[in-house]
Amino acid sequence: MKRIACYAALTAVSLFPCLPALAQDYSGRTLVVGTWGGDIERLLREHVAGPLETKTGAKVEFLLGGSGDRMSKMVAERNNPTMDVTFQNIYEAPAALKEGLVVAPDAALVPTAANVWAGMNDGCYAMSLVGLGIAYSKALFPEAPEWADLWKAEFKGKMAYAPYPSSEGDGMLAVAARIAGVNEHDPDAAFAKLAELGAPVLSYSSLDEVFTLMDAGEIAAAPMISGYVLSNLGNYEGIGFVFPKDPGPVLVRDMVCQVANSPEPELAQMFIDLALSVETQTAYAKELNFGPTNSKVELTEEEAGRVINTPEEVASLLQLDWSYVIEQRSDWTDRWNKQILGQ
Amino acid sequence: MKQTPDIKPTATALLVAPAAILMFGVFVLPFLFLVVLSFWSQVPGSVGIVPGFTLANYARIIGDGYYLGGLWTTLWLSGLVTLLCLVLALPLARWIYAKRSKGLLIGLCILPLVCGALLPTLGLVNLLSPLGFINGALKSMGLIKTSLPLLGNIAGVSIGLVQAFLPLMILPLISTIERIPHDYEKAAMSLGATRLVVWRRVLLPLMLPGIVAGSLLVFCASLTAFVTPQILGQGKVVTFASLAYQQAAMVLDWPFASALGMVMLLFLALAGLLGALVSRGLGRRT
Amino acid sequence: MTSRFSKAMLLAAVLAILLFLLAPILVLILSAFDSGNVFRFPPRGLSLRWFEAAFNHSEYRSSLWISTVLGLLSTAIAVGLASLAAFGLVRGKPSYRLAMEVLLLAPLTLPLVVWAIALLSIYAQLGINGTLPGLILAHVTITMPFAARIMIATFGEIDPNLEAAAKSLGASPWQVVRRITLPLALPGLLSSTAIAFLVSFNDVVVTTLIAGAGWITFPVRTFSRLRTEGIDPTTIAIGAMIVAFTILVIVFGQRLFQLSRRL
Repeated sequence: MKRIACYAALTAVSLFPCLPALAQDYSGRTLVVGTWGGDIERLLREHVAGPLETKTGAKVEFLLGGSGDRMSKMVAERNNPTMDVTFQNIYEAPAALKEGLVVAPDAALVPTAANVWAGMNDGCYAMSLVGLGIAYSKALFPEAPEWADLWKAEFKGKMAYAPYPSSEGDGMLAVAARIAGVNEHDPDAAFAKLAELGAPVLSYSSLDEVFTLMDAGEIAAAPMISGYVLSNLGNYEGIGFVFPKDPGPVLVRDMVCQVANSPEPELAQMFIDLALSVETQTAYAKELNFGPTNSKVELTEEEAGRVINTPEEVASLLQLDWSYVIEQRSDWTDRWNKQILGQ
Repeated sequence: MKQTPDIKPTATALLVAPAAILMFGVFVLPFLFLVVLSFWSQVPGSVGIVPGFTLANYARIIGDGYYLGGLWTTLWLSGLVTLLCLVLALPLARWIYAKRSKGLLIGLCILPLVCGALLPTLGLVNLLSPLGFINGALKSMGLIKTSLPLLGNIAGVSIGLVQAFLPLMILPLISTIERIPHDYEKAAMSLGATRLVVWRRVLLPLMLPGIVAGSLLVFCASLTAFVTPQILGQGKVVTFASLAYQQAAMVLDWPFASALGMVMLLFLALAGLLGALVSRGLGRRT
Repeated sequence: MTSRFSKAMLLAAVLAILLFLLAPILVLILSAFDSGNVFRFPPRGLSLRWFEAAFNHSEYRSSLWISTVLGLLSTAIAVGLASLAAFGLVRGKPSYRLAMEVLLLAPLTLPLVVWAIALLSIYAQLGINGTLPGLILAHVTITMPFAARIMIATFGEIDPNLEAAAKSLGASPWQVVRRITLPLALPGLLSSTAIAFLVSFNDVVVTTLIAGAGWITFPVRTFSRLRTEGIDPTTIAIGAMIVAFTILVIVFGQRLFQLSRRL
């Protein structure tokens, strides 16, 4: 008995050197993560940064701003990056990879990435699935509208848009193109069709301003991304949100990227690993209505109804040729400024 | 005619050097980079930049009514804001002149800015909105039937900019008016001048340096203002600063954005030069 | 036009202007007491929950602290350098005065977003991107035009004969500066400090691009969620508290000043 106990103790002691490899000490090191402010920052702090700090002893700092600001930062700081992890849009990720600003997704380095639905880790790791749907004023639309309903004469000049360039704007153009019988590769038709909706009431800088007006019926509808709108619906009785069917909502994906040549690549990989984990992804779905990209996440029926979380649902969404759209960005920005806003 | 300096040239150079070195290093160097950048071009759809000389960016700005229109809007909006600030700041300065509780009154004028430019702007959105307080009040008084459009146009943007930059006009004006001895006004009035004449012949001329300083600051600050016009203009008022932001931080066409900056600079260099010359000319007269 | 009438007119004009200036602040202060979840005016119900939230929210506290420290450091440097340069330009009347004034005002001539990106690239080449000194230098640069313009006007208005008289009475240059120039320049110094601080405190565009991760300022934090989630009512409560604090400082400072005058 004693001998077995001795051997057991010896084995345990000899295994000790292996344990630090699992909980390495990164104390004194700092991981820099670029993200949007507000609830996303809060969730990341709670579910990813907190556990990571406890596990490794490192500190996680957040950089806040828009994704365009982060792209600018990555390019400007190319020789000496300060960001390790950055959250970008569906169209920025492939461009960033092409430019060598980020590290290609690799399930060997980020194990949970293997659980992401196939084909989504395009450029960077897919973080969330959301759809561009219609936020509408219940006063003007007693029934949830379809895309085509927005073109009725009584709603002309009563739309609101996000500042362009944006995924909302590009998504809306693609929808307008489809309604006109073509797709996003025909910008003349797309812009002409979108212009039929009239000049927007506003290009909103703050969610409050568009919702206050929509709640009161001054704005009829706005193409918006599901996550935030759904989370805010409870505060405004007069606003509804719908995923239209014909064409379906536009697929938008938030991506999380590991910046190339960053100071803390291992910590970055651990962060992304936690971000893609079932626990974080479930929190995103429950609290923010952002669809999980991790196939292992399980949601209640009610929760699943509000988010996009299966490949079948994704297949029913409108997917844009983002690499083409990005190439047209400069030209389309000019067109948007003049033909849509400048009416 | 060169005036005799009051301190030696070496002393002057030493005093000026630190600021000059800082501005050169932190502003001029990046600026030179921007000048070069404005002649390069962007790889379409990418963040890459193609070096090599081209005038395409400038041609695009000058040849396109849209950008020139944006520049024109920006210039006259700034001029309007400067004028409004002057008109509002003069009575305030005159009233604060020789009052005991100056500090409190000046503090009140600065108050809008202390919690940040964003919060008062959002408060203003609320007030000016078609559903907001002002329209509500006017409607309940029966003065209007449908809401006045006070947002998304020059009106809203100028109101916001005046609020944001009034302190820039008031402080120089107050410091200039405080230098005017109180007897001047009394003397002029005892000689039979009306208040209007006192203003025209005594106060305004003596306040001119402050007026020029304040106007220059407000004008230039309005030209480069971004957050306030973006929010109050609701995307419908095209300013050069918002165009530059769109191109630089969203389209990521840095060469074009640099060219936009250069074009604006040319116009402003003229404005600054003018202001400096006027100031100098006044300095010689008094 | 009788004197009394014109005085009344002036008072009326002043009150109207002050009301115009302060109306949005009043909106803000009142909406800070709203019991709802989003920014609303007029408030639907009254509650102190956003004030409580403000005290519990350590990120806003630290961003306010950062904004204040950054503002104070940048302002001190900007006003200091601007005053030295202004004094040199006004008293020394060098041939390069106009060029120097243009240099000092230059940051006001460009949309700052473009300059900030260029600055960031240069910082990256030098390896100082994301550091506090880099951020301070950027803030000093954007506040310098305001400080410089005011100080040039200030020194320009001080009669050089006063300084010459003091010198002729045997004062050393240092004594002249300390006893004559600085006291006379004090209003200008205070103005440029106040304005420089406010410009630095309110900056969003430059700071978003230049600041490193540990230096997220209050406006950057507030602005970063504006489009996706709207304004956080906690921010409005914080704004209301800042306004209240400032009013207290001003009133208290005013009383103190009047008291010291009588002594």
